[in-house]
Amino acid sequence: MYRGRIEKDFRHWVSMGMLDARAADAMLAEYDARPSVFSAGRVLLILAAVLLGSAILLLVAANWEAIPRLARIVGIVALIWTFYLSAALCFARGFSAIGAALLVLATMCFGGAIALVGQMYHLSGDAADALLAWFAAACLVAFLFRSAAVTVLCGLLAWALFGQLIFDNDAYFGGNGSLYFIPALVVIVIALVRYTQAGVARHLAYLLALAWLGWLQLEISGGWLAFALFALGLVAFLLASLTASPLHRLARETGAAPAFYSFALAVMGLAVLHGEVNGLAQEIAIGATTLAVALGGIVLAGRVNGAVRFLGYAVFSVETLYLASETLGSILGTSGFFLISGLVVGLIAWLVIRLEKRLSAKPALKEA
Amino acid sequence: MSNNRLIRPLFAALLVALLQTVFLGYMIESRASILRNGSEVVLKSVPVDPRDLLRGDYVILSYDVSSIPSSKVSGGFPADPVTAQLSVRLEKQPDGFWAVSEAAFDPLPPKQGSVVMLSAPFNFYPSTDPPAFLNVDYGIERYYVPEGQGKPLEEARDSHTLSVTVRVDDRGTAQIREIAIEGNPLYQEPLY
Repeated sequence: MYRGRIEKDFRHWVSMGMLDARAADAMLAEYDARPSVFSAGRVLLILAAVLLGSAILLLVAANWEAIPRLARIVGIVALIWTFYLSAALCFARGFSAIGAALLVLATMCFGGAIALVGQMYHLSGDAADALLAWFAAACLVAFLFRSAAVTVLCGLLAWALFGQLIFDNDAYFGGNGSLYFIPALVVIVIALVRYTQAGVARHLAYLLALAWLGWLQLEISGGWLAFALFALGLVAFLLASLTASPLHRLARETGAAPAFYSFALAVMGLAVLHGEVNGLAQEIAIGATTLAVALGGIVLAGRVNGAVRFLGYAVFSVETLYLASETLGSILGTSGFFLISGLVVGLIAWLVIRLEKRLSAKPALKEA
Repeated sequence: MSNNRLIRPLFAALLVALLQTVFLGYMIESRASILRNGSEVVLKSVPVDPRDLLRGDYVILSYDVSSIPSSKVSGGFPADPVTAQLSVRLEKQPDGFWAVSEAAFDPLPPKQGSVVMLSAPFNFYPSTDPPAFLNVDYGIERYYVPEGQGKPLEEARDSHTLSVTVRVDDRGTAQIREIAIEGNPLYQEPLY
């Protein structure tokens, strides 16, 4: 990852005499001291909390008669209080890693308690409501304690809720529209991610948004929606990647994710559109658009965004193979299509290389 | 400053623990109150035995009153697709079990000697001919049992009559009170 790469680069620059060895060590030490940096101990603590939480959840599920019912409910509520209060004490004393683990454990216990009450009173068909209550509680905990670990739990619970609603699957326009509220969960999780600085959970939220749009496409189906998804993804991608865009700085602050997921959305829309087109002219148009989008992604964001670059390569390869196997009209016609595409892309490559040379020449001139 | 560092997380901890406890307490009391005060109804049932992830093994109970003949639906069917709840009036039969006497998409008024149970929300799609039967749930279709104990109920299903006594509150929400095989109580539900 980044830590390994930057250390390698530092060594290289130190050996070339461009960077003082002490400065390099100081920079690495500063990086390692940041709270968001990976620490094996912290991660293992959280995973231990997840295991203990799972033990409690399954103890509830076992419905074990050795513990009387009333003792179970009193016990689990006592655990909730104990874990939250101990977490507060840990934070006050500065043991933030143990505090985070205890918060995760306490919030898992709350889910177990909801399940326990459902079991005690034989409630049926309410799994989505239970998950929603659990999600809401987790969000409140993440917000009040500003906890990144619990934010990850919120992201996972949002996914669980989405899965449960899909499983119940009785959503249609005008009726049980719970599934149409999933974007609200995405917004809540992203807001929490920004507030608690829980980097990883961001991907859970973005992936949930993509999955939901994919579900929407399956549910409603129709070329117009696929086109809208494509257009939305493309516009969002351009807003996130073009330096001239007003949102560029905001998007760059949050890393590679906004550009990558909007690019992925555009690709998803295009993939669906492949099934909707008919007739040679439309097939050529969609094929050419897909290749252009893949190349555009590589050119615009490839330099700073490795994820977009590799998705661009993948789309380009798959589309080329698809066109070759599907054939546009005839094999000869497809060959002609590739010939023209090759010439156009070659021309663009030449232009881009000249442009890049001119751009990299400018700062050098300024320094001189 | 050090005071503030203790107060803030402590306040957060107390707040979330309290809110979660209140929520659980509300869940419990809303059910216990039905068991305490609801009207009692005995239903005929057949079980099967699956499990869910968080609440463990349960027995699926399906009831005679879950399947409602269209001829008993008064007040007509909705003209547009809706998410509806059916009000179902139950009356005691000579054999001791309760059966459907009337059902409606609108609320039914209370009547002496009958109990009105409200179905779970379901999606109704109108068609040119009304369906012969409406199948509804009442939220009492699952009975959670200790791990591995679903079998006796399952075996009883084949040769015996399984009866489920439920209590129903004024809003039509039902809560399981007792499960019996051939009239002998097998499980009795405590309030808490």
